[in-house]
Amino acid sequence: MKKKQQVTGAQALVDSLAKAGTEVLFGYPGGAVLDIFNCLPDAPFQFVLGRHEQGSVHMADGYARATGKVGVCLVTSGPGATNTVTGLATANMDGVPLVCITGQVPMAQIGTDAFQEADTTGITRAVSKHNFLVHSADELPEIVAEAFYIATHGKPGPVVIDIPKNVQQAFTTATYPERVSLRAYHPESFATSAQMTRLAKLINEAERPVIYAGGGVIASGAAKDVAALAHRAQIPVATTLMGLGSFDERDPLALRLAGMHGSAAANYAINHTDLLIALGVRFSDRVTGKLAAYAKKAKIVHVDCDPASIGKNVRVSLGIVADVKDVLTTVSSRVKAADHSAWLAQIEAWKKQRPMAYKPMHPNVIMPQQVIEAIDKATKGEAVLVTDVGQHQMWAAQYFRHNRPRRFLTSGGMGTMGFGIPAAIGAAFGRPDRKVVAVCGDGGAQMTFEELVVAVEHKLPVTFVVVNNACLGMVRQWQELFYGKRYAGSILSVRGRLANERLEQDLKYDYLPDFVKLAQAHGADAVRVIDPAKLEGAIRKAVKSDRTTLVEVIVEPRANVYPMQPGGQPVEGMIFE
Amino acid sequence: MNCFVENKPGVLARIVGLFSGRGYNIQSLSVGPTEDGTVSRMKIDVLGDDRVIQQIILQLRNQVNVIEVTARRKGER
Ligand SMILES: Cc1ncc(C[n+]2csc(CCOP(=O)(O)OP(=O)(O)O)c2C)c(N)n1
Ligand SMILES: [Mg+2]
Repeated sequence: MKKKQQVTGAQALVDSLAKAGTEVLFGYPGGAVLDIFNCLPDAPFQFVLGRHEQGSVHMADGYARATGKVGVCLVTSGPGATNTVTGLATANMDGVPLVCITGQVPMAQIGTDAFQEADTTGITRAVSKHNFLVHSADELPEIVAEAFYIATHGKPGPVVIDIPKNVQQAFTTATYPERVSLRAYHPESFATSAQMTRLAKLINEAERPVIYAGGGVIASGAAKDVAALAHRAQIPVATTLMGLGSFDERDPLALRLAGMHGSAAANYAINHTDLLIALGVRFSDRVTGKLAAYAKKAKIVHVDCDPASIGKNVRVSLGIVADVKDVLTTVSSRVKAADHSAWLAQIEAWKKQRPMAYKPMHPNVIMPQQVIEAIDKATKGEAVLVTDVGQHQMWAAQYFRHNRPRRFLTSGGMGTMGFGIPAAIGAAFGRPDRKVVAVCGDGGAQMTFEELVVAVEHKLPVTFVVVNNACLGMVRQWQELFYGKRYAGSILSVRGRLANERLEQDLKYDYLPDFVKLAQAHGADAVRVIDPAKLEGAIRKAVKSDRTTLVEVIVEPRANVYPMQPGGQPVEGMIFE
Repeated sequence: MNCFVENKPGVLARIVGLFSGRGYNIQSLSVGPTEDGTVSRMKIDVLGDDRVIQQIILQLRNQVNVIEVTARRKGER
């Protein structure tokens, strides 16, 4: 037998990442990962340099959400690692598969407060699905294989591999394993045939059923199966924020978004249903409102791959720990065709009575909802829409016609401002065949604006739309509705600020920054739209462009997101204006 | 609570974190070897709401290094 070749731990890592299928590596260098960077010029995958480690993790995240593949990133020890925390937490909450490699000081210096030392496994434990501290180069290939396995099996999530510098420099002959077998981790499907029979019976007997689809439907690739079940038994479908795109909203059975800012029809239907078929959801408090009143007339069936999510927030009549797709494939043949015409007529009436709607507040001022409608129109249902966090995110959820999985990328569970710009860039690397449009608020855009240069230098034809309402709109809305209109810390313009936050009244600008100049300074094309009549044209032009383009839209600052079912309230507490 | 875990660094911290992150105070904790040297047994006494404890057990089972978890109320056999 030929003697196995000795390589450094760093080289073994790069080889293993390639074996695991890495196509793009996002990251940022530093002292503790220089040995790994030294191997990158010969790596069979592309390296993309971000401008802040948070940005690099969000890029890997956007790549993973858009493609369904594992997002991979590489950062240095200490501050590099601590800068990843927000990105990891974001991916962890939304079940996004990532592998994040962090450098660490040499083993012998751990615990000595060495330069750029941080307890990375300690810090990331609570924001990752799992993490590893690598003790020897011989372990590296196996740990990489295990990390990819853990990231993608069971409920997906981020896995951190912390590699001390001496491990990167040590030599090894270890090779990438053919198969992974973990002693204690066997995310299993426990669906029994009795459960399937029970599920089919419940569906066949239901008079007012509702399917309630979440991110788990998208993760398991079950969107087609959901549509098949819905059509066969004529069951209306509501979705969570993470589930948008799992059911085509142009379908008459679509109830669209449910929850705090969901459609009236979705929330009313859940309130009146006798069978809630919850698929790949976790019953977040943003969706249920007052728990005791939630779906109070219904039997609840909950199918999810995470045993810990079943029964966590709501009591269920039937809980099935299994992959959504597996369950639907098995159960569909036992479900009888039905029409539920009276129930569907009731839902149609609710849709007519309470459509998703807004009124202009001033004839010459663009309403933020119009911006989303203009993007929807210009992209004709073909784009990947990425959002930041705030009011614009909710309007993007409400006013875009979501039609396919992995086309709406948003930070749902963590609600991370600064997600939009880098996640859109990651998505563009993953889906070069699709137009990617990012919608950001003026607040969140400033949190990761530096990443815009990455889009420019890689000539990514991404359209960035900044919905500029001169305020931290979602905070302002809560202050208006629940805190006596005391707008502390939420107004970005000179006008409307509290006295003790007052800016110079003779400031040349009403507010800063000038997003057009800022984008241009980063090398992107940029334009500002103020006139409602010019909105659609400007968005159409930006979407058609094959260059990185930013459109700053000045919108009505007083607009609020409605409908709204305030936190902890029952559905009767929904407010519409 | 009896928790059989892989005998690896970081496992104890991971498990304790599931309690402390909820503000739960562990009354007593002992960790010892089993006949299989690669497996450790953790005995955890904790005071808490049934639903929350149930949730913690499910999340313990989700941990990559946890092999088995069993639990009983004080006084129960
Ligand atoms: C990192 C982070 N900090 C704070 C918040 C709290 N927060 C939620 S929405 C919001 C306002 C966002 O303002 P902007 O980006 O302008 O979007 P808008 O709501 O105006 O559309 C804030 C501060 C958050 N979600 N994330
Ligand atoms: Mg804003």
